[in-house]
Amino acid sequence: MIPGLGQAAPTATFSAPTITATVAVHELRPESEWRFEVAIGQKIEVRIMSGTAELFGTELALNHVYTFRGTKSSIYTWHGCRIEVTGSCEEYTAEETPMLQYANTHFALEKLRDEAHQRQGDGPRVMVVGPNNSGKTSLVKLLTAYAIRTGRQPMVINTDPREGLLSIPGTLTATPFASIIDVEQGWGSSPTSTSSPVPVKLPICYYYGLASPEDNTKLVKPILTRLALASTSRLAEDQIIKETGMIIDTPGIISQGKGGYDLISHIVAEFSINTILVLGSERLHIEMQKRFSAHRTSTGESITLVKLDKSGGCVDRDDTFMQQTQEAAIKEYFFGDSRSTLSPHTQQMGFEDVTIYKIREANALSFLPGGMEEEATGLYEKVEPNPGMLHCMLAVMYATTSDSQDTVRDASVMGFVYVSEVDDKKRRFKVLAPMNTRITDRPMIWGSWPEASMSVIG
Amino acid sequence: MSYGQGPDDIAEDFKSALQDLSINSRFEISNLTIIAKENTEHAFAIAESLKLHIKQTPPQKKLPAFYVLDSIVKNVGTPYTLFFGRQLYATFMEAYALVDTSVRRKMDEMLKTWKEPVPGSMDPRPVFPPELTRPIENALIKAKTSFVQAHQEHLKNQQQQLNRVRSTASPATYRDTPTPPNAYRPPPPNVAPGYAPNYPPQQPYPPPMNGQQYSNQPNGQQPYGLPPRPPSQQYPPQVAAGPPSWQQPPSQGYQVAENSIARLNSDIDKLITTSKAEWAQNPYDNSIGTRLKALLDLQTILQNQQLPPDQIALIKDQVDQLSQASQAANKPQLPSTPVYPPVPVVVAQPPAQQPSLSSILGPSALAALARASATPQPVASMQAATQIRSPQPPYAQPYQPPPPSAPTATSAPEASSLLDRLRAAGMLPAVSTPTTTSTSSSSVPVPPVFPPPYLNTPPTASRTPLATLSNDVVLKPASLKERRPHLISGLYERLGAPCTQCGRRFQADEEGKKKKTAHMDWHFKVHQRMAEAEVRGQHRSWYVDELDWIKSREVEDESGNATTIANNSSAATTTANDPKLQYLAVPDDPALANSLCPICQEKFEMKWLDEAQEFVWMDAKKVGDRIYHASCYAEATKDVNTQIKRGTPEPAGVLGKRKAEASHSF
Repeated sequence: MIPGLGQAAPTATFSAPTITATVAVHELRPESEWRFEVAIGQKIEVRIMSGTAELFGTELALNHVYTFRGTKSSIYTWHGCRIEVTGSCEEYTAEETPMLQYANTHFALEKLRDEAHQRQGDGPRVMVVGPNNSGKTSLVKLLTAYAIRTGRQPMVINTDPREGLLSIPGTLTATPFASIIDVEQGWGSSPTSTSSPVPVKLPICYYYGLASPEDNTKLVKPILTRLALASTSRLAEDQIIKETGMIIDTPGIISQGKGGYDLISHIVAEFSINTILVLGSERLHIEMQKRFSAHRTSTGESITLVKLDKSGGCVDRDDTFMQQTQEAAIKEYFFGDSRSTLSPHTQQMGFEDVTIYKIREANALSFLPGGMEEEATGLYEKVEPNPGMLHCMLAVMYATTSDSQDTVRDASVMGFVYVSEVDDKKRRFKVLAPMNTRITDRPMIWGSWPEASMSVIG
Repeated sequence: MSYGQGPDDIAEDFKSALQDLSINSRFEISNLTIIAKENTEHAFAIAESLKLHIKQTPPQKKLPAFYVLDSIVKNVGTPYTLFFGRQLYATFMEAYALVDTSVRRKMDEMLKTWKEPVPGSMDPRPVFPPELTRPIENALIKAKTSFVQAHQEHLKNQQQQLNRVRSTASPATYRDTPTPPNAYRPPPPNVAPGYAPNYPPQQPYPPPMNGQQYSNQPNGQQPYGLPPRPPSQQYPPQVAAGPPSWQQPPSQGYQVAENSIARLNSDIDKLITTSKAEWAQNPYDNSIGTRLKALLDLQTILQNQQLPPDQIALIKDQVDQLSQASQAANKPQLPSTPVYPPVPVVVAQPPAQQPSLSSILGPSALAALARASATPQPVASMQAATQIRSPQPPYAQPYQPPPPSAPTATSAPEASSLLDRLRAAGMLPAVSTPTTTSTSSSSVPVPPVFPPPYLNTPPTASRTPLATLSNDVVLKPASLKERRPHLISGLYERLGAPCTQCGRRFQADEEGKKKKTAHMDWHFKVHQRMAEAEVRGQHRSWYVDELDWIKSREVEDESGNATTIANNSSAATTTANDPKLQYLAVPDDPALANSLCPICQEKFEMKWLDEAQEFVWMDAKKVGDRIYHASCYAEATKDVNTQIKRGTPEPAGVLGKRKAEASHSF
């Protein structure tokens, strides 16, 4: 490069690899998997030119252009296919995958569902456990997608507060899936005021508000119980879902230690789990066998426990990536995705108008002297809006401001608001709300997860 | 108007001067403008006075009053712009609903000038800021589409009454129609001044000082029979109004002189001619009407848009097929669902076909105006078309283990499949929801909230192919490692051929085909609704609460957002068995729009139903030709085992339903 020849030259050189829309065509052999990572802020377009292909179990349409942004994902083919990829991403093709095992798992579940149909009973309640980044969510998604394709309606339950499912992180949700899962955008979208190119799903949300279930087991357990209660009530009345059963995703952390196993037991009991899929970890498999071999569900069923291979495609998602996906989820909640723009509403409220509970991080508090007192103070601390709330999310609960803390805790979430401005002097603050509804008559919960994020607005 | 001492007097003077203003008089308008200019300190009072005048004055005096407003904002500007801007939407729309077509056209033109800078001014800003004018425009776009459809309906009824269909009707043919006068005879675009005494004619408003020409006729809003403007000048609502523009003779206005397009165009042209002839022979054959309408729409699309070559190629294929088909067998079968209001053959006669907006004058006009957003909009479809990123290939796909059934849907080149595909590609407006085929009410279809019944059937049927597969998998490591290609095929070819948009598979049997048709319609409607919503603004909904969530049911087919929500709100539980009509779309028909419940003699409560995306009458039920309060009717027919209960009809959103829920017990 000749110095001084054109200012633009250096930038052009550096950015060239990412800017040029490279088009690549990949020929995939049958039963192979094309794995790709698209950096946050980047996108690629993928088109299946021939053959068949599926993304976490959802079949991709031929010649339809799918756009992927900031994601780590994979496309699998049973019959072989040819893929055209526009844009740059990290990618490779794997011939060895546990897909056969996973698909067979689905067929085994199908058999249980057929049996359930015949005796008008309950379909399998499946829990997927495994350490972080072992592919739990991907497996849950695959089993869900296969069930949908087979004409079922699985109830998908997320107990991992680290990642939201059709909601923001920090929530625990249950969602019946009756229609195709969005392939471009996580699990799809919860309802908006308009239509979505992929049918929306209707989750019920409970707010935990902390990153790890072990941060406050006194809080997470009753919430899980409540989630189980709602789900089982739905199943009791909804025959199709009942036959199909539940598929439950769990936080990796509870598969990694003693306290966690306790939470696994809690989930097993509350959801009457009768099938546990252990991903990857031999040790966890043994521990689960010890714990549940003699266990009987409330209806006297024994638990089927099976270990599945971890996919070689599982990648570690570092904290930065997790934080970025978290922010993306919040943004999407208010502003929609690349396909449809949502317009949130700014509301201004006085400090006196609102009831806000801050979650106590009980396990941290327990190091303080006087643990008895902590018990008495309850799960939440009532707080006034304060500058510390800036850029935080508040969960608006389906409860009234006069309700007890337990009632508020057990309530489901109506929605979230984002604190965009706190004016201590005027004692007013501004929030971004999904729509223009009065929320001052509802209690709000302020948790530490998702973390405060500047980037949501602007 | 109480702004102190002076203002009252000024406003009073101004008001009395306004009272005298009954025609479009340049002198009076400039006089009033000067008064306004010299009394800017009383601008508020003057503005209020004028606004009030516009509101109260009879329809025929509204336009001159608007011209005063226009003149003031253009020649004086602030602070008037500010004061008028405050209720511009209401001021404009209220008047618009009351005046007749020719005045509306003037108002459209005036609105257009508001979006531009004041002529000759250094200030590049528009007369009124876009955030004020845009809502008006949007509302007009919606209203027009609605009216055009209502009008077609109306015309059709008339034709049936006359029991005569002419393949070429002269404008005069319609002079004696019963719809309000004038409406059918809009002044020919270049009519001489003085055409109608009460209405300002085309030329005579040379605005006092601004030099802006309202009468500058070609301002987009007059495509009837004239060659269209170059796109830059095209007035958006006009494009949006769609139907009027397809009335343009095909040869005109077609500007892209590309060979293939030209040929395509002429092919379509021929097909249209053929169809018209057929139509003339079988005026009651809806299928011909449908096809004709589709062709005309297609023509419009080709004329108004630059389609990407691949889409053009697709259309061409279809048209070729269709031409052959129409030569071979000219009785295309309609799919069960789409029933377009047949298009009168006279469409070729632009002047006669000015949609009679005033056929729905009076109180119902506003309702219909508002309701309009529910009607399919060509503009949306056009946008939707542009949103589609890849060409929509025919169903037959290069697919390696292909089910031979895949191409069945396409093998017979008939109009309906063309429609389906164009619709699927987002190039044609969707037909109204197919649940009712009664022609008299096709403009008031069952709200799209409820899916066609067969969508509600449990999906067991779609699993049947799997039931026959031997499935011996158990959750044991060894069993899970076995290869079972036949089971995998149960996820692919055994499920039928995939949807080209989303990959979902459908059986080739009768039920599968039905589902697929509904599914393609759904895809189309979503494109359309999204395009509309883009304009309107949209937001995330609140999550549902426990009780509703537990009570909600997923319908088997993804019939879209609306379906899911509505079914998930209380409506689902109370009306699931009788999903027909807890509410009705507000009728377009002016006679019906004012109707009272025959039982209680009260009016119906109109409200905007977000899910249905239209204005509806709550608690309304149509029995035969009459509309009752659902609750009154239930009361009256109590012993006849009806399931409708008073208080249930609030299928509205996630929040609204709490009340409804409380009013009946589960």
